[in-house]
Amino acid sequence: MAHCIAAPKRPLVALPFLLPSPCESIALALRRNQSSYRRTKQRLRVKPDASFGSSLTHTQEDHIVHNPPSSAPSVYLTPTKFLPSGDIRRNLRLASVKNNDAEALPPVVRAPSEKKYHLTPSDIREIRRLRATDPMMWSRLKLAKHFECSPIFISLVCETSPQKKEIQKRVLEAVQSRWGSKRRMAREDRQLRKDAWGRDE
Amino acid sequence: MKRLQLQRWSGSVLSAQARTGGRLQQRLYTAIRHQSTASPAAPAGHDQLIREQPQAPSIRPSRPSQSRYNLPSPPVEAARESAKLASLHARLYLPSRLPLETLARSLVDASADPDPNFNNESLATLGHDLLTQYTSEYLVCTYPRLPLTVVFAAMYAYVGPKTLAAMAKEWGVESVAAPGGEVDPGYLQFRRLPPGAEVNPELITGTERPHEEETHWRKSVTSRVVYDNEYGDPVKAGVPPSELPEREAKNNNLGVSHEQASSTFVHALMGAVYLHAGRPAAKRFFEQHFLSRHLNISDLFNFSSPARDLARLCARENFDAPVARIISETGRKSRSPVFVVGIYSGADKLGEGAGASLLEARFRACVASLKGWYLYSPLNVRVPSSMEEEGAAPWKPVHVDLGEVII
Repeated sequence: MAHCIAAPKRPLVALPFLLPSPCESIALALRRNQSSYRRTKQRLRVKPDASFGSSLTHTQEDHIVHNPPSSAPSVYLTPTKFLPSGDIRRNLRLASVKNNDAEALPPVVRAPSEKKYHLTPSDIREIRRLRATDPMMWSRLKLAKHFECSPIFISLVCETSPQKKEIQKRVLEAVQSRWGSKRRMAREDRQLRKDAWGRDE
Repeated sequence: MKRLQLQRWSGSVLSAQARTGGRLQQRLYTAIRHQSTASPAAPAGHDQLIREQPQAPSIRPSRPSQSRYNLPSPPVEAARESAKLASLHARLYLPSRLPLETLARSLVDASADPDPNFNNESLATLGHDLLTQYTSEYLVCTYPRLPLTVVFAAMYAYVGPKTLAAMAKEWGVESVAAPGGEVDPGYLQFRRLPPGAEVNPELITGTERPHEEETHWRKSVTSRVVYDNEYGDPVKAGVPPSELPEREAKNNNLGVSHEQASSTFVHALMGAVYLHAGRPAAKRFFEQHFLSRHLNISDLFNFSSPARDLARLCARENFDAPVARIISETGRKSRSPVFVVGIYSGADKLGEGAGASLLEARFRACVASLKGWYLYSPLNVRVPSSMEEEGAAPWKPVHVDLGEVII
């Protein structure tokens, strides 16, 4: 072990991971601390951010450094659009903020779909007739694809027969009966997390 | 706004000798009031009940040497000897015009002493009405757009029985094991519920709501304003005065819970401050002890479909339809990505939220936008009761909103 310390050209202090743990002595630990202290000091010597205020120009004056971490805006700050027209803050904010053009807006999550409003009352009668005659064949999704509308619109227009509902319920029960405890708990947890979104937790 | 003629009806609360005041106050206490101003002839049964009580108010203060063990609650003279009462008075920084005797009376619950001239029922009626009025006008004027369910929850949080019981505990009010004339008047006097008694019955029957037996019928939030109490909970209907003695005789056998007795005490103390020290002192007491409690109203919301609500809101207010936009994101293909999504109406940002999926971030952003709408608070809020002060500035109407979004 002794020659192991003497042999390398580089000081072994710089490569502490090479040392087996029994080699560490108190002196070694002390020197290691010193070097890491110096290194930390060096790393911390960074140029202050502009948001910290120019300390070079106003070194003598007292000043407050306000640099809060980035966080979601408070819900108690009402957006300007939501302020009623009589509120004085509306005019103050509109005066202070310059108009930025629409190109600067961030990208949308999902492109908003244009509503077509193309279905006529006869189409709706047809939807109802199809769904009543063969509910197994004409599901919500199939009707929506056929008539080029959303499944929600189909559910607004008509309701399926109770027999179809019963069958669907049995199918769901059969699928869920094959779930093990892990999958069941994961599903329940997911629902609990979703419920927490609405409470803002 | 005219000032109330205090003296006309406060006498019955203040003087222990007054005999007619009791019935009126009991009628007031049964939450729903009877509108007739003409006082009906006292039923014979009630007078009998008063006569049968062993401690008639006329003889009680005059004979203190009579054994205190026979009294249901401490005599009036005992208030001056109690160190607990004096320290409670000092600790709460109560106005010096509020005498120790009234403080002692506000600590006597109706279950301990059924005599309305010696218990705190009448004071509690007044204090309850003051507290609910001050709290509701503060909430409605400060947050004019709050949905009704949130107003109910906030009322419950500010002046609900649980809060008042916690306040009484923080004030250092201790309760007796059993009420009696010999105990220190600085204790909260009430008869406890027998063990195993049901404290909160699941279904309250006998309310004023029509078709209350149809439990599966939808109860609209607006109907809760009319039929239910200030917290939106069902409440028992008021009793006509002719049936009061029977109801009382039934209720006196039972005790009350500690929570209920504590909240009645806080109500009674509020009423006592109002009667003895006046309206400004009562408002100051309310602001220092009730409004000073921190309540984060944004925590009281719970949304199930915020995106739809927000779309309806924007359509109602003639704003552009809300669009979700990705403000920033990190680690989209990693195990724990973070998306920051903002909701924009035209070029204006309504709110933003962060989440581990685009769906969650959008949901949270919609919640934040809706909260931004509902939690609007005007500048320089004034409540209607501020007009009762001398030399108040002319009243300017408060902001009244269209109401919550209804899908």
